[in-house]
Amino acid sequence: MRIGFWPLLVFFMFLVGCGRNERMDTVYAERCLSCHGPGGRGDGALAGMLPVAPPDFRETVQRKSNSQIRRVITEGRGLMPAFEPALRPAEITDMLQMVRFLSREGRDVAWWERFDALVVAHCSIPWETVLGYDDPPETEENK
Amino acid sequence: MTWRGWTTIILVLVFVAGPYSFAANAPLKSGAQRRVASTPINDFRFIDEYGAPFAFESLSGRVVVVAFVYTSCPDVCPMITASLRQVQVGLGAEERQKVHLLTVTTDPEIDQPKVLLAYGKRYGADFANWSFLTGEPTALKKVWQNFGVGVKRKGRGLVDHTPLTAIVDQKKLLRFGYVGPSPDPKAVLSDIRALLSERLSAPAH
Repeated sequence: MRIGFWPLLVFFMFLVGCGRNERMDTVYAERCLSCHGPGGRGDGALAGMLPVAPPDFRETVQRKSNSQIRRVITEGRGLMPAFEPALRPAEITDMLQMVRFLSREGRDVAWWERFDALVVAHCSIPWETVLGYDDPPETEENK
Repeated sequence: MTWRGWTTIILVLVFVAGPYSFAANAPLKSGAQRRVASTPINDFRFIDEYGAPFAFESLSGRVVVVAFVYTSCPDVCPMITASLRQVQVGLGAEERQKVHLLTVTTDPEIDQPKVLLAYGKRYGADFANWSFLTGEPTALKKVWQNFGVGVKRKGRGLVDHTPLTAIVDQKKLLRFGYVGPSPDPKAVLSDIRALLSERLSAPAH
């Protein structure tokens, strides 16, 4: 069976950026670490001052979909700030991925969770633009 | 559904959803240092959370609590704003006519009126006597300096700043400053009431 060049290229494009990288570590260190702690266990330096303890990602993130996590990041929850519009969409994706990575540390990972990074990368691609579904720009002729 | 089913749902809502919903109103552990001051505050003009012009001089004769925060702050700002909300809740109906709360941004690049409005709503702010202000960076800089607030931009939506909550009296003198997270709402209310009583006991001109 021969797999064409282009499908392979697209597949590897999905994989690019799917692993934990420095960008994710940076965004986490700058915006999340002080409350959520280095391992996402809710033991950051400020955690003790909060009225409600930050969650341990290993216990909560597994049950949440990517869109639910993204909503918490963009809109905030409780005392956690809303990171939109301060963060760009790509940075929010990095934060989401980092939360997923930390949530897997030190626990048994379900087989389907191993594909999360791929799903996030796939969902981060602006498919409307790539596939040409965007509305054409408004001109005098098509008004 | 049986009554047991309904009871289970209600208990889950109370014990699981409750703490999340009311996190902003839950008691905070105070971590701010109280300082006494006597600094004149100059008038300033900004725009509020609705994009409307706001003049500090319009608060003449009122006690004003001013907090310096920014909406995407991952540090102590959320605790300051939560404390301010508890201060607002602690004010009586009559006191609310004589006291105004101001949240002044330290990040005008991100904190546009729309963002400030959403921020205020998240904390349950009553906008009748609580305004969220932003403005031109140069105008804001003058106010930060007047209050002694240092501000340093580290990146988009990331700012180092003095975590100050200040109380300004009816004569526009900065009288008390709380530096740090979670100024104790009871202490702030006590200072506010002391300033309000000063006005009442002041000799008539």
